[in-house]
Amino acid sequence: MGEKINFTVNGKPVSVEIEGWEKLLDILRDYLSLTGAKRGCDDATCGACVVVVNGEAVKSCIYSAKKLEGAEVITIEGLTDGKKLHPIQQALIDAGAVQCGFCSPAIILELYALFNKNIDATEEEILKALKNHLCRCTGYETILEGAKLAQKYLKEGKVFK
Amino acid sequence: MEFKYLGKNVQRPDAVSKVTGKAVFLDDIKLPEMLYAAILTPPYAHAKILSIDTSEAEKSPGVVKVVTGQGCKVVYGDCIRDRYPMAVDKVRYIGEPVAAVIAENPYYAKQAVKKIKVEYEKLPVYTDALEAMKEDAVLIHEKNGEYWHLPAYKPIPKTNVAMHYELKKGDVEKGFKEADVVVEGEFIYPFGSSAAIEPHGTIAWFKEDGTIEIWSSSICPFIIREDIARTYGVPVSDVRVHIPEIGGCFGYKSDVIIEQTVAYIASFVPGRPVKWVASRKEDFTSTVIAHGMRIRMKIGAKKDGKLVAMKATVYHSTGAYADTGVNIAQGAAHSSTGPYEVPNCYLEAYSVYTNTPPVGAYRAYGYQYSHFALERLMSILARKLNMDEFELREKNYLGEGKENALGEKMWKMHGDVKKCTDLVKKAIFSKPKPKEDERYFYGRGFAAIVKGPKGAPNSSKGCYIKFNIDGSVSINMGGAEVGQGLRTVVKQVTAEALKIPPEKVRVYTEIDTQFSPWEWQTIGSMFTVQGGRAIVRAAERLIQKLKQNAAYALRCDIDMLDYDGEYVFLKSDPSVRISVPEIVRGYMHDDGITVGEVLQATADARLPRYSLPDPETGQGNMGVDYTFGAQGCEIRIDKKTGEIIVDHFASAFDVGQVINPVQIRGQVVGGVMMGIGATLYEELKFDKDGRIINPHFKTYRFPTIEDTPKKQTVEFVETPDEIGPFGARGIGEHPVIGVAPAILNAIYDAIGVDFYRIPITPDLIKKAIEEKKKQKTEVS
Repeated sequence: MGEKINFTVNGKPVSVEIEGWEKLLDILRDYLSLTGAKRGCDDATCGACVVVVNGEAVKSCIYSAKKLEGAEVITIEGLTDGKKLHPIQQALIDAGAVQCGFCSPAIILELYALFNKNIDATEEEILKALKNHLCRCTGYETILEGAKLAQKYLKEGKVFK
Repeated sequence: MEFKYLGKNVQRPDAVSKVTGKAVFLDDIKLPEMLYAAILTPPYAHAKILSIDTSEAEKSPGVVKVVTGQGCKVVYGDCIRDRYPMAVDKVRYIGEPVAAVIAENPYYAKQAVKKIKVEYEKLPVYTDALEAMKEDAVLIHEKNGEYWHLPAYKPIPKTNVAMHYELKKGDVEKGFKEADVVVEGEFIYPFGSSAAIEPHGTIAWFKEDGTIEIWSSSICPFIIREDIARTYGVPVSDVRVHIPEIGGCFGYKSDVIIEQTVAYIASFVPGRPVKWVASRKEDFTSTVIAHGMRIRMKIGAKKDGKLVAMKATVYHSTGAYADTGVNIAQGAAHSSTGPYEVPNCYLEAYSVYTNTPPVGAYRAYGYQYSHFALERLMSILARKLNMDEFELREKNYLGEGKENALGEKMWKMHGDVKKCTDLVKKAIFSKPKPKEDERYFYGRGFAAIVKGPKGAPNSSKGCYIKFNIDGSVSINMGGAEVGQGLRTVVKQVTAEALKIPPEKVRVYTEIDTQFSPWEWQTIGSMFTVQGGRAIVRAAERLIQKLKQNAAYALRCDIDMLDYDGEYVFLKSDPSVRISVPEIVRGYMHDDGITVGEVLQATADARLPRYSLPDPETGQGNMGVDYTFGAQGCEIRIDKKTGEIIVDHFASAFDVGQVINPVQIRGQVVGGVMMGIGATLYEELKFDKDGRIINPHFKTYRFPTIEDTPKKQTVEFVETPDEIGPFGARGIGEHPVIGVAPAILNAIYDAIGVDFYRIPITPDLIKKAIEEKKKQKTEVS
């Protein structure tokens, strides 16, 4: 009954057997123990489950596991090497954009996908990307500041440890 | 006052684990042999359970056990013991647990739960306090009045009134007779939800050795521990509660409710842990919801603006179970006079059972409802008196020597609302208002606020600090970090109190009742004040021990010594000194003989002389420590769409002492946004049968990054507090309080229409503008 799906997560090849009902979020959290992606709603509205698939930020809670064959998935766990923080992570910290932290990994990955595609994204484009992410703590002010700071760090090629 | 480590932007201790996705939240926890529960809720909000058939569900794949409430004897509650972990013979709200399936994975559990068949007999449904208070209303709790309750709460038996509270100050009738002008109104703050992005969840495990272990995304581990121990008849010490990272709280995770349900379910499969995490829908229907408030308020004033009397009645649709919700209604009533002195008051509250999910805590705990009514009425009163609204407010502000409705005297240390007002006035009202143009109406509004903690007389926070051999410090407390930045406060206050750099202070991460010092619960903006004071006390004890150990080493009396964070030294000759690492484990003489105490200390702190309400007057020391503030806004109203755009929102609070500038601004900006959500967008809607129409984020309009005000001004006054650490006081809840009245006052300023209910949607505005136009043409 199980179907085998092969794809990469954070650059490493993985092969998982699925039953068919699973979404990418189930695969990451329950099969691969990558719990940085969060489940915050059941109608794909909160954005806490966002990860990067083939360069695009996607809501993993509605992304069928069956579509994963050959895909390249990047999760929050793939952004660091255990020592250094990614500039986007550091920027959100520096801006004070991290409060409860539940929405933070997904916001970081949303910005990661956005800035990889266009490091010069305008404020309007940043807002458009971030409007898919609900945050109850910050009132969003520091998240926008953090996004702009991340852009600056990335352009300057800053390295953080 | 100048501090070395306060007022600085120290990085939050949990920042890195949160941005790397490594912070462990409830749903990230996997335990060996863990099972998963799915819960069945009823299709009716009020109905008798006639029969439950679980046979099909039991045959479903992966199912371990099916559980119902039939025969369940458990009744629990902290204030009124009226809650059941699972419905026994009737259901009282739409999200009430009726049965549950325990299965090997959540998918199997959810599939099987659909196969449970239940027969119901419908009963009349009440979704509003006023309907449930009608004389012929069917009783939602036949046993109302018979449940155990704390003595301070007064249920009215044979009615749906779970609690009636009265506060009397002066002579209210006489007061209104003296009044030259009276204003009144009925204000509605409808149902909503704290709606943290992390849904609420619990893991419960009845172990073979008779102990019970619980994990919950809760902020009251010690209350859960006592509740569960009482319920299952085990010593409190045999219940162990863990609190992992919490993905936001804003109130609702402080009420024990899902923990009892999950524990009840898990008690059927002893030996194996059972996890239940709410879906978003269940987070709305089956945890606790918010608000449900109707307040009738009447204010009397003299011609010169002096307030002489107030009458307020709070009708709280407290939901199917009252328990802790009664405190919210009580808080709303006794805070009705807000930041003003009113000599004659009659303030009352009714907590009324309704067929809606139980109402629980929500940031500001009653104060936002009273202030909504009060600050709207103060603006209306100013108009009626033809008086400047700031002059009216300032004439009546509480301050040194004045007395609030509870009969508590204010001192200088309580802070300065006038200074806060001046800051907001400068930010919002110093320039002339833009003139109406083709596209927009413009308006500005103001509200002043005050809030005290909602505590309990014995509520306190504990603290344990130990010095390590290298002079670094580990601190352990029971305060729950929900995002508010509590751990950063702990770090900075400890650093300041022990005169060591914050980098040398390691703050605790998770809470575990087996190791954590006792704390009542982390609510009511009390942690900085009480927890901070506990840290200062523990630090003082440690410094005393440091000096004692140094006295052995330096062979002098303790009072000759001083401490600077690195050394203990002779005041008269600082070159005679000993370093902290040398005396951490006592002082070892050259021959190895060691004397003195190990450098560790515990301390706790509560609010001084916090009391229960007086049974006659309802007054008492039920705030003790207050934070005053002022809020104002500039808005624009789109003539065509009715959309309200908040261009600028300004807040000023007298917080005593800023501990971390970035963090405190984040608290205020986030709180204001939450207030804007309640004012303009959010409402949990019920149909007449008690079903929630919008229990999802797609339909429960939650503010996004596109809804933020164009600008937020945030200012602080620093009148030192005598209770909190280094003068600091609480600020967690306050930013939401003045938002609704400030915006509604601004709407009046823009279009000349008074609203008494939130949320104010574009449709309501459009209708009001059309109505206004019609009236104008009729007049002309």
